[in-house]
Amino acid sequence: MQTNRKSLVWHIPLLLIVLVIILPILFMISNSFKTLHDSYNSILSLIPSHPTLANYITLNHQINLIRVTLNTFGMATLVTLGKISTGLLAAYAFHNFKFHGKKIVYFIFIATIFVPFTTIMIPNYLVISKMNLLNNMLGVALPQMCDAAGIMLFLKAMEKVPTSLVESARIDDIPERKILMNIIIPILKPNIISIGAIFFINSWNEYVWPTLILKDKGSFTLPLALQNYISSEGGTNFPLAMALATIMIIPPLLIYVIFQKYILNSISSSGLK
Amino acid sequence: MESNGYSIVLEDVSKDYDKSTNVIKNMNLKIYPGELLVFLGPSGCGKSTTLRMIAGLEDPTGGKIIINNKDSRNLNNKQRSIAMVFQDYALYPNMTVYQNLEYALKVHRVPKEERKQRLEKIMESLNLSKYKDRFPAELSGGQKQRVALGRGMAKKTNIFLLDEPLSNIDVQLREKARDQLLQLHNQNGQTILYVTHDQQEAMALGDRIAVINNGIVQMIDTPENVYHNPSNLFVAKFVGSPQINVIQVEYNDSNLITLDGMKLISNYKNIVQKDKRLLLGIRPENISISEKQETESIPVKIDAVTDYGKFKQLTIKVSPEVNLKALTPSWNSNAATAYMKFDQDCILLFDKNTGTRID
Amino acid sequence: MLSNNIQAKEKISSRSGPVKRGKKMNIKPFFYLLPSGILISIFIGFPVLYTLYLSFFNWNLISPTKEFVGFNNYINVFTDPTNRQVMFNTLIYIGILVILNFVIPYLISIIVNFFIGKTKGPYKILFFIPSLFSLVVGAMLFSWILNPVSGPVALILRDYGMKLPQWTNSGSLAIIVICLITNWKVFGYNFILLLTGLGSIPKNIIEAAKIDGIPKWRVIWDIVLPMNKSVSVYVLILTIVEGLQYVFTPLNVITQGGPNYGSSNILYHTYLNGFVLYKTGNASALATVTFIIFLILLALEIKFVEGGRKHAD
Repeated sequence: MQTNRKSLVWHIPLLLIVLVIILPILFMISNSFKTLHDSYNSILSLIPSHPTLANYITLNHQINLIRVTLNTFGMATLVTLGKISTGLLAAYAFHNFKFHGKKIVYFIFIATIFVPFTTIMIPNYLVISKMNLLNNMLGVALPQMCDAAGIMLFLKAMEKVPTSLVESARIDDIPERKILMNIIIPILKPNIISIGAIFFINSWNEYVWPTLILKDKGSFTLPLALQNYISSEGGTNFPLAMALATIMIIPPLLIYVIFQKYILNSISSSGLK
Repeated sequence: MESNGYSIVLEDVSKDYDKSTNVIKNMNLKIYPGELLVFLGPSGCGKSTTLRMIAGLEDPTGGKIIINNKDSRNLNNKQRSIAMVFQDYALYPNMTVYQNLEYALKVHRVPKEERKQRLEKIMESLNLSKYKDRFPAELSGGQKQRVALGRGMAKKTNIFLLDEPLSNIDVQLREKARDQLLQLHNQNGQTILYVTHDQQEAMALGDRIAVINNGIVQMIDTPENVYHNPSNLFVAKFVGSPQINVIQVEYNDSNLITLDGMKLISNYKNIVQKDKRLLLGIRPENISISEKQETESIPVKIDAVTDYGKFKQLTIKVSPEVNLKALTPSWNSNAATAYMKFDQDCILLFDKNTGTRID
Repeated sequence: MLSNNIQAKEKISSRSGPVKRGKKMNIKPFFYLLPSGILISIFIGFPVLYTLYLSFFNWNLISPTKEFVGFNNYINVFTDPTNRQVMFNTLIYIGILVILNFVIPYLISIIVNFFIGKTKGPYKILFFIPSLFSLVVGAMLFSWILNPVSGPVALILRDYGMKLPQWTNSGSLAIIVICLITNWKVFGYNFILLLTGLGSIPKNIIEAAKIDGIPKWRVIWDIVLPMNKSVSVYVLILTIVEGLQYVFTPLNVITQGGPNYGSSNILYHTYLNGFVLYKTGNASALATVTFIIFLILLALEIKFVEGGRKHAD
């Protein structure tokens, strides 16, 4: 009993952290349903006294909300599919083949995780503009379609598949691409879904690279559109910005609700060596 | 169907993973078409590595493997005509029993009707028809093992490799599984290579047994010869349970005398041996014990009696230095002393240093 | 006897050298690595080299000619007062990030793993939620919460007669707020990594120490923390490498490096030079220096983390 009371005391700081982390999100959602006036006068009330959809309607007048959402969705989908396919192929090569220089190639791949984006952004900007892909989703997606961290996650997942499965298939003369498609990928389905979910969420939230490539408002993604509502000089219309942010957090939140267990497992495994 | 099997020849095959440790050392081996050869040895002896090299999963670092008179390096998997059952069965978890059996045939475009016929026959003979739509996770160990066996059979290959296929199933089921395998062998006449560390299994299955230790074939022969006529001390000790008795002796004027001076055998046949000291091996069932003294029998003390039901094992003390185990069908005496006699024909002599047979 | 023969043969012919491999070069893995290899070469390999090249020139990103200036841009990185301030700011960022995003999550993960029994799940789930959201959302939220005039914190402080400072006017205060924003996002992520590390330490080791009557804090200090070293070094380096890149977003959204570069750091300053001031050479030198710093961190990671691992064999 004593230990129980002791552990109860430890819950207090933890619950405080939960509060600090979660309350801003709840206020954000609440404010998005408040009028500008209410948001100033009843700033500390979590339930809007006069709930209104006005902010969402205004938002839809000011920016092409559907277009921006579709832009974001398209870009994130493209990046996710790209990272999954390149990652699975590369992980398969590293896991199931012996070849000269494998260690070096693997090291170079992993080292790319440590390349800061500022080191590559100027040449990449030049490449994308040379390819005439400025203001284009493909220009945003293309440089992100391979992710060494993703390769590492897929590799970790593959290491859990018994090697005898691949060996057995090889003795049976199954072509490698069929081993990957018919055996490895079906077995790794949960991992692919959770790693894909992580890819999608990250890409959905991506801000830095799109700001360099997307200058035309018609090509904006949600984070860029939201940034446009935040004024550094003050005078931000917060209920409006929060309405946009609320729309923005729904897809990641939904994905998290559905795949929470898998996502957390993948995150956990990424740290363990 | 006579002799559907391919011959396999290993010529000076060696394997090292890094430059320093040799897993297989210049192995020479000839496996006849259609024989069932068992690789027997302790874990880590290189028997699985040898099997994996024959399967093409590992490349030898030296020597060559010749399958059906062709250098295996020039053969693709189809020409090798090999099926393999893995220790963990390697069943595809995302496929049902039937799909597991069918998969390789499907990929290689065996017509659907033929597939069906072939597989139904196999499932019938392995008692799997009931489980054909189950996934591997829903099967017992014995069922999984049968699926793995069936998957290997379905391919109708000329060589069948089995890597400790029975080590993960219950002891009671093993005998049945062994019978199934022998039946399969009789029907198809494939060359079968079977890896195990279980000497009883090796005895029960093998046309011949290759005893392997430290990456070297210690002996390759019929089960009978491996047991009764081992080529060296390792084979003698590894095969047989309870283990063979080994006594340090001196050979002196055709007598075999223990180091503490007890004469075990007199008038032993002449042997050529520089070193007087030898190791004498005698299997426990070749020591007869009786309560009555006979000519040339030696008095011993009985330390313990272990009852195995079918037979009894006596732990006996011959001299302060020499303790032996003897098997006898019955022993009802409570006497603390008795008389022992070695069956002279069954005595094995080994070189003290190299362990090789010298008689 | 057969074994004799074989052993004898071995003595003669052993180490006669491995037979040359009859196998043709295995080109299959090459195809599997091709897509990622091409992408990595074009969008990471080439850019790294090109940035290095550009760092020896003065250029404005547009003009057809580049002026070769040797190491001038690098000398500039360490002598120009603005650059020096930015480098100093970077160190402050690293210090604050390590405390907020590494030390505090570590303390919390120790509490959750060792002091509260079995209710870890809900904390993992809840702490992780902000990691799902864009830093733009975080930047917007914090600029509302900490708005010195009309934000909720300012209002509460006003009731107690206190005022929230105009933090956007002070470089150091802005740095703290910006780090807090990234902390909001990555706290849960780092917490989960560290907690998993702690959870993977065998229970029986801790129980054995408990039976020996060793106090809990000593068990944690003497046994748990050393055993968790590889995970914690990994998270520590991640905190710096990712953290410096994460602060970019709130920096760009809220202060644009201001006031007067007071909240800028080496990464943001690279961006300002490259895409706002059009001093491409300067930007490239800063970018290369950043890369070298990160490479040193990579070397540390390999030394402490990857050592006990063998992925590629």
